[in-house]
Amino acid sequence: MLKGKKSLKVALATLSAAALAGTLLTGCAPANAGGTITYLTNSEAWTHADPQRNYTGMHIAWFGSYLQRTLTAYDRAKGADGSAVVPDLATDTGRASKDNKTWEFTLRDGSTFEDGTPITCEDIKYGVSRTFATDIITDGPTYAISMLDIPSAADGSSAYKGPYSTDATNDKASFDKAITCSKDHKTITFKLKRAVGDFNYTVTYLSFSPVPKAKDDGDQYDLHPVSTGPYKIKSYKVNDSMVLVRNDKWSASSDPLRANRANPDKIVVKFGQASEVIDQIMLTDKDKTSVSLDALLPTNLPTVFDDKGEVLAKYKGRAINVYDPYVRYAAVNVKKLNCLPVRQAIYYAKNFDSLITLSGGQAFNGDPADGVIKPLMGLDYAKTGWATGDKDWKPEGNPVKAKALMDQAKTECPDLYARATDPNQGIYYDIADTETSKKASAIWIESMKAIGVTMKFNFIEPGKYYSVVLDATKQGDLSAGGWAPDWANASTVVPELFTKEGGFPMSQNWEDPAYAEFKQRSDANLSEPDRVKQGKEWAALNKYAMDQMWVIPGVFSKTQEIWGSKIGGAFFWEPQGSLSFGDLYIKK
Amino acid sequence: MAIPSLIVALLAISSVVLAPFIYGVLGINPEARDEGALDDRGMVPGDWNGISAKHPLGVIPGIGYDLLARMLFGARVSFLIALASTLITVFLGLFMGIVGGYFRGRIDGVIGRFTDFLLAFPTFFMIIALSAPTIERMEKSGLIHGNEARILYLILIFAIFGWPYLSRIIRSQVISIRERDFVLSAQALGASNFRILVKEILPNVWTPIIIYVSLALPGYLSAEAVFSYLGIGVQPPMPTLGTIISDSTKYMMNNSVYFFIPSLALILLVLTFNLLGDALRDALDPKSET
Repeated sequence: MLKGKKSLKVALATLSAAALAGTLLTGCAPANAGGTITYLTNSEAWTHADPQRNYTGMHIAWFGSYLQRTLTAYDRAKGADGSAVVPDLATDTGRASKDNKTWEFTLRDGSTFEDGTPITCEDIKYGVSRTFATDIITDGPTYAISMLDIPSAADGSSAYKGPYSTDATNDKASFDKAITCSKDHKTITFKLKRAVGDFNYTVTYLSFSPVPKAKDDGDQYDLHPVSTGPYKIKSYKVNDSMVLVRNDKWSASSDPLRANRANPDKIVVKFGQASEVIDQIMLTDKDKTSVSLDALLPTNLPTVFDDKGEVLAKYKGRAINVYDPYVRYAAVNVKKLNCLPVRQAIYYAKNFDSLITLSGGQAFNGDPADGVIKPLMGLDYAKTGWATGDKDWKPEGNPVKAKALMDQAKTECPDLYARATDPNQGIYYDIADTETSKKASAIWIESMKAIGVTMKFNFIEPGKYYSVVLDATKQGDLSAGGWAPDWANASTVVPELFTKEGGFPMSQNWEDPAYAEFKQRSDANLSEPDRVKQGKEWAALNKYAMDQMWVIPGVFSKTQEIWGSKIGGAFFWEPQGSLSFGDLYIKK
Repeated sequence: MAIPSLIVALLAISSVVLAPFIYGVLGINPEARDEGALDDRGMVPGDWNGISAKHPLGVIPGIGYDLLARMLFGARVSFLIALASTLITVFLGLFMGIVGGYFRGRIDGVIGRFTDFLLAFPTFFMIIALSAPTIERMEKSGLIHGNEARILYLILIFAIFGWPYLSRIIRSQVISIRERDFVLSAQALGASNFRILVKEILPNVWTPIIIYVSLALPGYLSAEAVFSYLGIGVQPPMPTLGTIISDSTKYMMNNSVYFFIPSLALILLVLTFNLLGDALRDALDPKSET
């Protein structure tokens, strides 16, 4: 549902099963091998199974654990150790040139696709090239486009249009210069347009994983991606199930990261299960070897956790309540709400208290946010002076202050004021259609009514939500959103959310007069070599965006996960914000 | 069961009609949220959904609305939909049935085939598939917005797909009545078709109509609940019985009282009207087998 993921500096994970797969490389079958793990989800299918199109942390964790290998990967460890980058297909974590503009990786021997063909530099290069076909390979991260040294076309997009383009102007030559392969097909070199000191974090994305050109059928590759990991797809039926079996061509010795962790013999994902039914199965422990891929429904939290959010004795060891990597907010469509006092009035009138209570309270839903960077980001976080740091802000809403701002808006922007206060027009809020969001809408409408603003809701089918709101012609005035850093640098937050070129630009803020200065500072900061200085500037830009109220802040959110009592090896894998899928095994 | 069900039906109808008065007497308000009745997690403390003098049927968890007030408010919307759908269904069914049955021939043929055509539609799926585009068009027309458009959509679609059933019953009645002596006498006296339809035939088909109404009303009430559950009907903050039940299913594990109260209310309502319909049929139409 939401894009992105991140790394945390602080250990958070409330802990689960003590038995963790060891880190020693044994070379023989893992100690806990055998059995079938069943995953249950309400979704009709994976959003994407194509590695170049996967973007959600949870999906990357799942596919990365079982099916797709990348040059480097996050370590499978609890707490902050999980955010360390380790070699995967590469022999080390990459070698950068002095200016951080050239990165080189050497491939391990013995890694193959599921048909036994060795993985070469050309396969990775082909995989990366697919990202550029933005009309076919949609929804994936676009770091390859923004970072690789390829010139831009006149309209600002990349001059290279990917491997499927038959256009004569397609600048394949530049792409061939940006990624080069050594003669022995073992070493891959990336040439970047700007200094990227943490490019070896970027390549942990599945969008930098290999794809065999012969098996690629563009859009349809989403249904049958070729595996490079310890499992392969036996069957995948939308709205039904996916079955993984062991990949007999996978060589454990070439994959120390997964070698003694590929425990189950079979992995089944059941799609389209009703959320209530999933929760029932998990709460009653009816199927002891199953794992829910969805968060627990807020209504079932009291069964598993006490008031303070601690796991009750009955569920000890098979449930967690932790901060996830996300910050939730309502993105403001600045093109439509082009008046700061109106945006601020909405922020002051918002009833944070009731909305948080509705979603399970502070112990489960999270804390009121003061921006889009979570305090766990350490270097990049500083208080913005909004929300909890704002003396006029009240958790239950401050209609007096909000009304004063609306009065100011009446003279400053009479058109928008008239629309916002007209019962037949009003302000439209986009939200995914769930029972909780229906009740949330009533709370929003009530608090906006208190300041004379009419608020209306576009309830959008959850599976289609982002494709609707990311379409500028369909987006309303406010859109519920959430974002997590792609790795431990707010360079994956601030420019992604608030620049036109970003991956998640729901604020449409580039016509705002304040945008020019923001954009210039953000661009400059991307290449800032001093990490501390860079962090301070991200914090300042977070405040800058909040001062313009480009988002109405929401919560620094938490998540609750649950799994069956026979599942071992579960912990919260911080960099992906998900369970440690690849470490799960069936207890004997 | 006739008298008890009549009493319950009258009680239900009057409490819905007099809802604003009941709010005043009990000191409840469908718009007011009482967050004091919820704990930090948004759950209702205790096992009985917070039933108290202040909240006769407890509160809605998460948001703190008074359950009784919301149910009464919701029942008004549900009844409005059911009643309006029933009325339009009866009007259309009666008109088509009488015209087809009385004139026979080509007119009957056309109406009959059209009825078959409508009956052949998979109604349930049509309602789901047509909802989004139809409501969007209604809103684009600028005449009707939001929930009003949704309510109108449900009423129209229920009526459009509902009348053929009634029309068939009426038609068969009319076919037998038109051959009766009093109709033939009226024709022999030179009465106009309109007069015969209104004065001679209509009074003789009231029985099936009354029975049909008493059975259609609960049918539409539960249909509204089903479509609200599927997310097609009325949207919040306006409640209906269906949306309240749909929300309450999420709390089955932790607050089953909240789930049972609106569900039982709907069951009671539908059962009452069904029993009343049966009783009416027995009384007015003793020949038919039940």
